[in-house]
Amino acid sequence: MLKHHSLKKLALATLLVVSSSSVWADTSLTVAQRQDPNSWDPIDTFLVAWSSAGGSLFDGLVLRDENLKLQPGLATSWEILEDGLRMRFKLSEGVKFHNGEDFNADAVKFTFDRLLGEEGAKGPQRSNYLSIKSIEVVDDHTVDFVMNAPDPVMLTKLAGYGAMIVPPKYITEKGDAHFNMNPVGTGPFKFKSYTQGDKLELVINPDYFGGKPKLDNLTYRFIREDATRLAELQAGRVDVVHDIAFSAIPTVKENDSIEIVSVAGPSIMSYQFNTKAGITKDLKVRQAINMAVDKKVLIDAFLGGYGTPIDSLQGKLSFGYDPDLKGYPFDPEKAKQLLKEAGVKPGTEITIDYRANNAAVGEISQAMTSFLQNVGLNAKLKPIESSVFLNDIVPKGKTDELFQFTWGGWTFDFDNTAYLIYHDGERWNPYGTSEEMNKLLEAQRSIVDQDERLKILRQVGQLAHDNAYHLPLYNEDTIYAVSKKVKGFVPAPDRRMRYLTTTVEE
Amino acid sequence: MRALFRFEFLAGLVLLTLVGGAVALSPWLFPDSGKTMDFLARLTPPFVNEAHWLGTDPMGRDILERVVVGGKISFIVGIFSALGAVTLGTVIGLLAGYYRGFWDSFLMRFADIQLALPFILLAITVIAIIGPGLDRIVILMIVAQWVQYARLVRASVLSLREAEYVQAAKSYGLPDRKIIFGHILPNAMGPLIILATLNVANNILLESSLTFLGLGIDPLTPSWGGMLADGRNYIQTAPWITIFPGLAIMFTVLGLNLLGDWLRDYLDPLGKTNT
Repeated sequence: MLKHHSLKKLALATLLVVSSSSVWADTSLTVAQRQDPNSWDPIDTFLVAWSSAGGSLFDGLVLRDENLKLQPGLATSWEILEDGLRMRFKLSEGVKFHNGEDFNADAVKFTFDRLLGEEGAKGPQRSNYLSIKSIEVVDDHTVDFVMNAPDPVMLTKLAGYGAMIVPPKYITEKGDAHFNMNPVGTGPFKFKSYTQGDKLELVINPDYFGGKPKLDNLTYRFIREDATRLAELQAGRVDVVHDIAFSAIPTVKENDSIEIVSVAGPSIMSYQFNTKAGITKDLKVRQAINMAVDKKVLIDAFLGGYGTPIDSLQGKLSFGYDPDLKGYPFDPEKAKQLLKEAGVKPGTEITIDYRANNAAVGEISQAMTSFLQNVGLNAKLKPIESSVFLNDIVPKGKTDELFQFTWGGWTFDFDNTAYLIYHDGERWNPYGTSEEMNKLLEAQRSIVDQDERLKILRQVGQLAHDNAYHLPLYNEDTIYAVSKKVKGFVPAPDRRMRYLTTTVEE
Repeated sequence: MRALFRFEFLAGLVLLTLVGGAVALSPWLFPDSGKTMDFLARLTPPFVNEAHWLGTDPMGRDILERVVVGGKISFIVGIFSALGAVTLGTVIGLLAGYYRGFWDSFLMRFADIQLALPFILLAITVIAIIGPGLDRIVILMIVAQWVQYARLVRASVLSLREAEYVQAAKSYGLPDRKIIFGHILPNAMGPLIILATLNVANNILLESSLTFLGLGIDPLTPSWGGMLADGRNYIQTAPWITIFPGLAIMFTVLGLNLLGDWLRDYLDPLGKTNT
């Protein structure tokens, strides 16, 4: 009898413990990503690895949501004055940095003075913001951006890394080196600890102005090897993996406790032509090569279907995307005919250059040779060591007929891509385009009317297509591998994850 | 004669004949040299499709074809580089160890310099200058590896030159050439053969690292090391891409080791084991 009674008690006690733990236990999420940015100062970096973790620590005046729409961030509203030469921002009131410092107009001025000044000159972010002349404090919660020239992409850039608002007092007192390792912002999570090359630990900021996050702890682990990151996820020691190799997708799909979450992303894959030398000097040859490659097959075979074919160097989320642009169809017969017209004999050699250290790029390049073979071109491959390829071969115009070209395009504005690859004299345009192209690109930079800009950017896309400067292949999806314990996971196309609505169920 | 019926000799011979024979016949067996891609058949597992007995790789190329055809590059790189390095290293080691003095210091300082250079750095520099290619890879490996053999041989020679039979040969007035090749070299062969057979396997793999870095042969040409590198990302989902070239390397090296063992015993002038 006594025994029975105590058993009941035990059961009751167990029940209590179990239920209370599910109510009171902290919810923690662990994310694994490939790269450690090594500094958390927003203006030190252009790495996606920074933003996928740093986005939880900092806010900009403007925020970009998961649908890539610009939303008020630390600014509640803004207006464009003097034909785009002045932008006025109203700031949120009552917001504090994680260390208790007030967020106000002075913090905005400090942030941009720092970015455009000596500290910013050391990093790569500054060049994106050079259209800003100065910041004028109107009152405690109003600031004016005085511009050198109108910048139609400035609002988007204010949601970018370099424009994250940083605490003036903290940085002045502790110094930049301390700030790099112990970041303080206004974001939904506060900094707890950072071990270089290992992990970054964050805890909830319960006073976040955008609403309290549902997670108590958010940890980022930096694991270089693709296979190790996946193994950690399979073992349950990690809940989300940010960089998953396309070749690992079947493994993930076989596992019942993990799922793939994907969203259209900004990255594009293409091959550019050497328009100054070899058979690709001829427009017909370039058009023929465009018709020789079946993009759909490449996407299905090598990306597991996680991509979309493109006809210009942007995805459909990009501002400047033209749904009416008619790409070159996959038509090997027409391609052979064009090659014949151009006087290219079957069996002519053509060489493809590509970055050697990326297995996926290597596979796509190998597949390319098969398509080119099919129309009678004898394609050779030349893998080139990555830094030589990016710093010497491409910018100095030493490539063979074709060279592989990938582009991030985080602003999702075609200007950011097109200007740098089509305007003469730019680093990624070693072989030049045309005066007409230069004029179009320059014209859209000084127009604030977005409809007018869109029209011009579409003309740019059409012109590039007509001249077949390149072979656009596909727009890659951004994919995440996520444990099924994780609920409310909202994938960000640009990998700037915020984990505001995410929870973990045990 | 009895030496020819030893297990090591027969097993080694059978393994190498099988692998080498298939490789030698590959131009007739597989005239398209394993380059044909079929994206619809990519990553076919082995033993399910009659057209692809050993399965296919991520490009839909037949693994059996590529293993057989790829052996050519691997054999050439593995065996020629080891032979070249053995020859060069042995000559230098013999000269340095036998004559001592100026030549010894001179050649061994060269060896020290060579050892101080990391291989990949040397490879990137040399290939940046002379360009990639099969012959260049073999030369590069010889340049990088002769030192090991030279040091090994020199160490043996240093003790052998003091041995009584060498001293006796000298007192008979035999020329240096006969002493070196007739009395010293055969006694220094044992460890040399072991090291050389190990290096063959090493160099087959090294070729793949060079190809992966873009310093080696055309990535479309199959080679065992290159196939291992291609399969690395698929080890969990499609292990057959790496298993079959891996087995080919294993059998080749095993065969070479067995033959090496046998040869060492056969050449053993004291006849310790070959009774």
